[in-house]
Formats: sequence, structure tokens, C-alpha cells
Amino acid sequence: MFRDSVIIMRKEMRRMFTDRRLLFMLVVLPLVMLPLMYSFMGKANKTRMAEINSYSSRITVCQGQGGGEVSDLFLESLSMLNAHIETSDLEQIDSLKQRVIDKDIELLIVMPGDMNGDILDNTVLNFSIFYNSTGDYSNYAFDQVRSSFSAVNDAIVRLRILEMGMSEDMLKAYTINKFLAADEISDLAEEGSVMGKLIGVMMPFFIVIYLFANSMKVGLDSVAGEKERGTLAMLLVNQVSRLSIVLGKMISVMVAAIVGAVSSAIGLKIASRYLIDMVGDSGASISEYTMGTTAILQFSIIVIPLAILISSLVLVVSTFARNVKEGQGMIMPVYIAVMVMGVTTMQTGDVPPEWMRMAPVFNSLVVLKDIFMQNALWSNVIFSLATSLVVSALLIFVTLRMFNDERVLFRI
Amino acid sequence: MLRVENLSKEFHSGRGKNAKTVQAVKNLSFQCKPGEIYGLLGPNGAGKTTTLRCLSTLIKPTSGNAWIDQFNVLDHGQMFRSKIGFLTSDMKLDGYFSPDYMMNWFGRLNKMQDSEIEQRKEKLFVDLKMTDFIHKKIDELSSGMKQKTAVAISLIHDPDVIIFDEPTNGLDIVTSKSVTDFLVSRAESGKIVILSTHNMTIAEKLCDRFGILVEGELKEEGTLSGIIQGSDWDNLEDVFFSYIMPDSTVGGEHV
Ligand SMILES: Nc1ncnc2c1ncn2[C@@H]1O[C@H](COP(=O)(O)OP(=O)(O)OP(=O)(O)O)[C@@H](O)[C@H]1O
Ligand SMILES: [Mg+2]
Repeated sequence: MFRDSVIIMRKEMRRMFTDRRLLFMLVVLPLVMLPLMYSFMGKANKTRMAEINSYSSRITVCQGQGGGEVSDLFLESLSMLNAHIETSDLEQIDSLKQRVIDKDIELLIVMPGDMNGDILDNTVLNFSIFYNSTGDYSNYAFDQVRSSFSAVNDAIVRLRILEMGMSEDMLKAYTINKFLAADEISDLAEEGSVMGKLIGVMMPFFIVIYLFANSMKVGLDSVAGEKERGTLAMLLVNQVSRLSIVLGKMISVMVAAIVGAVSSAIGLKIASRYLIDMVGDSGASISEYTMGTTAILQFSIIVIPLAILISSLVLVVSTFARNVKEGQGMIMPVYIAVMVMGVTTMQTGDVPPEWMRMAPVFNSLVVLKDIFMQNALWSNVIFSLATSLVVSALLIFVTLRMFNDERVLFRI
Repeated sequence: MLRVENLSKEFHSGRGKNAKTVQAVKNLSFQCKPGEIYGLLGPNGAGKTTTLRCLSTLIKPTSGNAWIDQFNVLDHGQMFRSKIGFLTSDMKLDGYFSPDYMMNWFGRLNKMQDSEIEQRKEKLFVDLKMTDFIHKKIDELSSGMKQKTAVAISLIHDPDVIIFDEPTNGLDIVTSKSVTDFLVSRAESGKIVILSTHNMTIAEKLCDRFGILVEGELKEEGTLSGIIQGSDWDNLEDVFFSYIMPDSTVGGEHV
């Protein structure tokens, strides 16, 4: 029986690894997709940041009567920014607001009148700052102005405290990491685990996507496609058992799936250098991230059964469908569901809700994440393995039933 | 020895109000001896393909059974299949591979040794005049070449019973002749050959016995001379017409 499965599988393999177009889709695409995407996004991100940094914002300031020294203090802080500062008067306010809307200027700052007097009375100054959240430059200018002004605020408050004869330490109840020794590092994450976290968050998503995409490419064709082309009957009239056929097909779909997953994992590893550019995490370094033998073992224990599960899922649909097109239509909702699972796993924190550890597919994804962060529990690994295998067995049973049902196999 | 006993096949389609039942084959029985070519004749929709598919185990008879020696289609599917070579026009070959590769592949699936496969291939390639194209991709072959390839593959395991549905459909006379000559040589070497056709000329030349199938029922069975003697007609075609269109006088004259 297994001998026949192997014969069937070998033909499908030969097809997979000699057909250049198929090989490109199954191996090359998942490998280069992520590095290309990330290097592109990383570059775009960098140039965008550079652009924003070198951009000189247009800021208009309106001021009431009698600004005085305090007002100069604020204006001076603005002049330190990379910005064109214009002044105008309050009557213009409506047309100035319109200019903000039109993105003709980035910010409109309205300063209160008698600022000196207010400060002496200990009255809180009220600035109005109008910006346009749809403009990147406007958001950026707003942030900059806010931090400049807050520096002025700090200076004024410090003066007041000193005038009252108190220490400026009154302003601070604590500091963080100010008195670390020179050789002391505050981020105690193990070497490589920062990268592990980055990869761990992304990896399950991409692995499941390519497991699925490759299963679909090979799996839909291997039954629905053969039905459509009339090649399946040729196989069925030979002395091969239906179980051998189903297993042979399943194994070849699974191999395609694993090839995709491994390619995309390598792709993500390559891509991670660009990923660091994007997140700008200085603590992360790719060269430091390596998977230990335990992690690789656990990874295989999760990914192989997950590949079996996903290939069986695709095979059920492929067997039920009349043709490839119908199969694609039927598998789409499943694909989207799996994608959503991938995204959800990406967004759950370090401690996923308990049900995620119970649900098939989900639990494998969650454990994969643990594995990359190097904190997977063997009990969780084994449980995920078991659920994947049980569900796969169920799906293979259903496929086998359909293979023995002429109404399914010969729906034309 | 092949025995078909009271074979019936119903197809159900639609659901609820639209449910329909088609009686494709009704209580069909016939037998074939080794060395015999049996022709199943009948108009479109008569149930020929359905009958042959039941014999291939691709579909299950609603009732009745078919036997080759002690094996039957219901209980010994895989064993039964090992005894037959089956081909219909809607069965196709994977076009990505060459005839040679596919022959090896099907040979192995039929549990043959590699040396056995080589011998068998050599014989089939020569008999069916295929040697020119055995290493080309099947996709790139003409339909005649494809049909020869399909014939060769279905017979890789040298089955006792050859069941072909319209094997010469769409072939030119040369290719058609090489296929029919081959079938005759197989029968001469003691195989049972069952084929379906609408082509009376081929049927008359090729078959030892005939069954005329109309609307799923076997209306007439016998040798060419037996059928003609027992009828009002002097050729097979007119006998055939008299069953399909009982009221018409198309074709020859009354004797
Ligand atoms: N899978 C199926 N589902 C429903 N009805 C079917 C199916 N296959 C065949 N039939 C019906 O069974 C009857 C016999 O069909 P069959 O294909 O056996 O005829 P045939 O003698 O081979 O005809 P042809 O000469 O056109 O090939 C037809 O009425 C056909 O519509
Ligand atoms: Mg037919």
C-alpha cells in the first residue's frame, strides 16, 4: 500500500521539481518575496523619514497684544526648529485656517495676549494650535512644536520653584536608568531573543500563508484538476487502492507545503536585516539570532503535522470540487480564515488566550511563536502535534469516503 | 470467462421536486469466452459506457454483478481490476510526461517488475507502431498517437479481459486499423475483448458476437450470421435500425 503511495508521490514530485514554472511558484517566490518586500518597504520608509526630517515646515503664529519676554521665549524655541515662521494677526485667523486645510501651511499657532502678566499671576497660558492630521508634515510639525514648547514649560516651572527657594528636584519623584555603571546594559534580553521576538511575531503568519498557498497550488490540481482533465479515471482503473492514491497525493501536497514554509522562513531570515531598518530597534541583530537544536526539533514537530493538516484540508476540497475553479472558490473562505488566524496570532501578546491553545491550526501558530521566542513548553508542542494529526486523520478519512463515492468522483 | 449477471444501473439526479431517476442499464446479462471479441452496439445514450464503467469498477451497479473467474466487481474490486484493461474516450493521460515514463509508472502501480515492464513495453511499442514518439511529451502528440498511448498503457499489465469504449473513435483509417489489428491479435492469443461502438463496418469485421443495447436493454445477441438469419434483414446495420426506429424502413429492403 505504501509502496503504491510512494510511486504516486514520486511522479508528482518529478512534476514539481522539473516544471520550472511550478518550481518558481513553489520555491523561489516564497523565498524572495519577503526580502524584496521588506527591502522595498525599508527603503521607502527610510527615504520618507529623511524627507520629513529635511523638510522645513511652514508655521504661522498669531499673537494677541503685549507678548513680552515670555512670548519671545516661545518664539525663540520655535526658531530652533527647521521651519519657516511667519507672524500674522488674529483677524486673519479664518483664512489661515483655510491655508492649513489646503496644506498651504503646516501649523497655525495662536498665542494668548498678555503672556508676561499671566505667568506672573500663575495663570495657565492657553495656546491653540491648528493642524491637519491628513498631512504627514503637519503631524510631524505639531509633534516638534509640542516638544519645543514643553521645554519652555519646564524652564518656566523650574524658575518658579527656584524663586520659591526650593530645589528643582521637587519636580522629579524618580529617574530611570540614570545611574547605571558604564558597562551595565539595561536591556537584559538574551542575545538573539530580541530578533527572536521580531521573527516570532511575523514567522507563524508567513509560514501558514505559504503552507496554504503551496498546498493550494499543488493540491487543487492533484485531484480536482485530474478530474477535470480526465486523468484520474486512468489511475482509478488500475490495481491501486484508493487509500494509496489519497496518501500518495497527500504526501506530495505536504512536501510542496513544507518547501513553501521553509523557503518563506529562510526568506524572512534574509528579510530581517531590512526589518531592523524598519523597526529601528538597535538591540536587535540578525547575526545573533540562531535556532538551537531543541527549537529546530520543536519547529519540525509543529510544522510537519501542520503541513499534513493543511494539505488534507486542501485535498478534501479538491476531491469534492468538480474542477479547479470550483475548488478555488470553495477554498477561498478557508484561506481567508487561516490568514485571519495568522494575523490574530501576530497580534496576541506573549500570553495568548487559552482557547487559542486548544483550537487546531491556531495552537500550532501560537506554539510556533513560542518556539521562535525560545520559550515553548513541550506540553504545548505535543498537544498541538496531537490535534493536527487527529484532525488530519479525520480529513483523510472524509477524502477516502469521497474517493469511494462515484457521485463525488464522477460529478461532471 | 467473463459473466455479466442481471446488471442494472440507475442514476439519480436533482433533489426534491426535480429528482429524476435514469435507468441507464436494465437487467443486462451476457458472457464472453477467452479468444472472443464481443461488440456492444447501441445508439447514443443506450447505456454502453455505463455498462463498461460498471465492469471497470469505476461505478457500482445498482443491482446485479459481473464475474471474471471467481472474482466479482462488488467484492473484489482491486483483484477484478488487475484482470482488466479498461479505456474510454473520456479517460486522458497526464500530458506532462512521455508515453515511456507513463508506461513505467503504470507498470509499477500494477506491481510489475522493471524487467517485466521493459519486455512488455517493447512488445506494445512495436505492435502499436509507437516507437517514434515514446519519448515525446504526451501533450505534444497527435490525438491518434495519444490514443495508441492510452491503449498501450491500459494493457501494460497484460490483462485477460480488454474492455474498450469506442476505441477507434476519431482515428484515421490507418491508426484505426493498427488498433483493431492489435485487438484481433490479442483475442487470437486467448484474451477476451469487449468493445462498444456505433461503427457497424468495424463491428462486422471485428467482432465474433454482438449484443444490441437499446435504452439499457439487450434487445438481441448472437453471431453476425445468427442475428441476420433470425431477422428480416440482410445486414447488421438494418437490424440495428429496426431496433432503434421500429417503424422506419430506412436502409435495405425486406427479404
Ligand atoms: N453520471 C451520470 N449521471 C446521470 N446520468 C447518467 C450518467 N452517466 C450516464 N447517464 C445516463 O445514462 C444513460 C446511458 O448513458 P451512456 O453514457 O451509458 O450511453 P452510451 O451508450 O455510452 O452513449 P454514447 O454512444 O453516446 O456514448 C444516458 O441516458 C445518460 O444520460
Ligand atoms: Mg458512451
